[in-house]
Amino acid sequence: MFDRGRFSAPAEVDGLRLPLLGLGGVALIIWLVGLYFDPEQALRSWLMGFVFWAGLCIGGIGLLMLQYMTGGAWGVVLRRIFEACSRTLPLVVLLFVPLAVGVLTHTVYEWTHLPPTDHAIEARGIYLLPWSWVARSIIYFAIFGIMAYLLNDWSARQDRTENYEDAASLLARMSRFSGPAMVVYALIVTFASVDWVLTLDPHFFSTIWGLLFVIGWALATLSFGAMILAYLSDKRPMDDIVGKRHFHDIGKLMLAMVMVWAYFNLSQWLIIWSGNIPEETGWYLTRMESGWFWIGVVLILFHFAVPFLILLQQDFKRRPKLLALLAVFILLMRFFDMFFLIGPTPRINTYGGPQAAFIVSWLDFVAPIAIGGIWLWYFFGQLRSRPLVPGMDPFYDRAVHHGKGH
Amino acid sequence: MKENLYGLLAEFDTPTELVDAANSVREAGYKRTDAFSPFPIHEIDEALGIKRSILPVLIFFGGLTGTLLGVSLQVFVHYIDYPLNIGGRPYLSWLSFVPPAYELTILLAGFTAVFGMLFLNGLPRPYHPLFNVPRFALATREKFFLLVEASDPKYSYDETRAMLEGLDAQEVFDVPE
Repeated sequence: MFDRGRFSAPAEVDGLRLPLLGLGGVALIIWLVGLYFDPEQALRSWLMGFVFWAGLCIGGIGLLMLQYMTGGAWGVVLRRIFEACSRTLPLVVLLFVPLAVGVLTHTVYEWTHLPPTDHAIEARGIYLLPWSWVARSIIYFAIFGIMAYLLNDWSARQDRTENYEDAASLLARMSRFSGPAMVVYALIVTFASVDWVLTLDPHFFSTIWGLLFVIGWALATLSFGAMILAYLSDKRPMDDIVGKRHFHDIGKLMLAMVMVWAYFNLSQWLIIWSGNIPEETGWYLTRMESGWFWIGVVLILFHFAVPFLILLQQDFKRRPKLLALLAVFILLMRFFDMFFLIGPTPRINTYGGPQAAFIVSWLDFVAPIAIGGIWLWYFFGQLRSRPLVPGMDPFYDRAVHHGKGH
Repeated sequence: MKENLYGLLAEFDTPTELVDAANSVREAGYKRTDAFSPFPIHEIDEALGIKRSILPVLIFFGGLTGTLLGVSLQVFVHYIDYPLNIGGRPYLSWLSFVPPAYELTILLAGFTAVFGMLFLNGLPRPYHPLFNVPRFALATREKFFLLVEASDPKYSYDETRAMLEGLDAQEVFDVPE
């Protein structure tokens, strides 16, 4: 029998919760003031924060399924962090409400204002109406909810099992579920990311768009997991569970995901460059001008080149604190990426200025902080509610032993 | 004092004995040593004081050479030697240079990894003095061996032999050159 109480998160985690909620609450109030004066900008900034933080929840579901399919020690030590991420889904749905209201009231997304004769609106018909946009998002959340509920429920039942056979059969069930569910997951992420982000620019389209978010959210969630695991690694009970070899493995995965992110982005860019068709190139042309150009340069250098070169080194990956520092840096770069995707898209009200002007609003800082504070408060609560490791998992002992190796 | 010896080879029954013996030999100050086992023993690197291989660094520079080669090849062909107007794109269409440069990076990094590994291991090498000890064939099956080379600065036949025998070795063999 697995002594669940011994493996709960340290009490220090609870100490983080209230300050985070306070920070999020204060930022939320400031954001509400911004919403009153400039609703469109406030909602665009909210979208940026939402896509980032919801990505940690949705990415948590994806990585949970990934580690059930591949196995491996990294998945055993990170599983409970991913589960806690996935259980933030109710909060994520709540955070989506301002966007749904914004779309239904035609205050955000340029397409809510385009005339029906516009060819993008005409061709999409019923698909791109405010109510169908909101209805689809409800379906996405329902499907993500089923995945998160089942995986968390089976995992909790595994903790309560008395013997190896029951635990192994639950693990087999989760692995069997994860394979087909992963296909659905990638499709739903594609639909969701197209609805939430791509339709900001209704005249642009890209078939690799969904994969940009599958990998972007996976990278963000893995980095977040590495950060939390490094924070827990010198406290009870994780101090004699995680070893440097776990971090080495996580670092290798981060390297792979940094490369895949660059690969997908390059694919999109290179194909549009080669095609050279006006309806696609405009998206990149606006991003090669003014401040957007420099955001792009920052992304190539610091979302790809620098993490890539750092993660090539073995010694770096084996030091939890250094790896966590890089993970925080990658998370920051994820914000730059979201800003690069969302910032230059056409606005309903440009206040007489040109479209796609380089605007960095104070709301772009406030909204992500508001969402982040509240989300982290909720996340740490979920992390505390269950043991930090799946102690009954058939591979648990081997996974712990793996971490202590050379 | 025996002449023309390559070194002394000690045979052990278990990997633990081998690692313990390797630790003692390193602590005694021997540098030119090696260990043989039917399966990888991760602790042995530390026990024998084997330094990290330089191979990863070589692979990095092999890959970097590939990148530079790929970029300069395409810049030379498309921009300097034979500029072609392809659909009105700039001659220095650097974005489309990325895939070939990347492929060359992987190719040269891969070559450096394989051939660098062989070179650093001194392979291919069809003959080795250790084959003169018939029981050494058991290193691929069930026995563990520790070698001290005669070229080691601390080596002296009687002392080294006495020390290896003192390490609970099953047997210590002379390895003829």
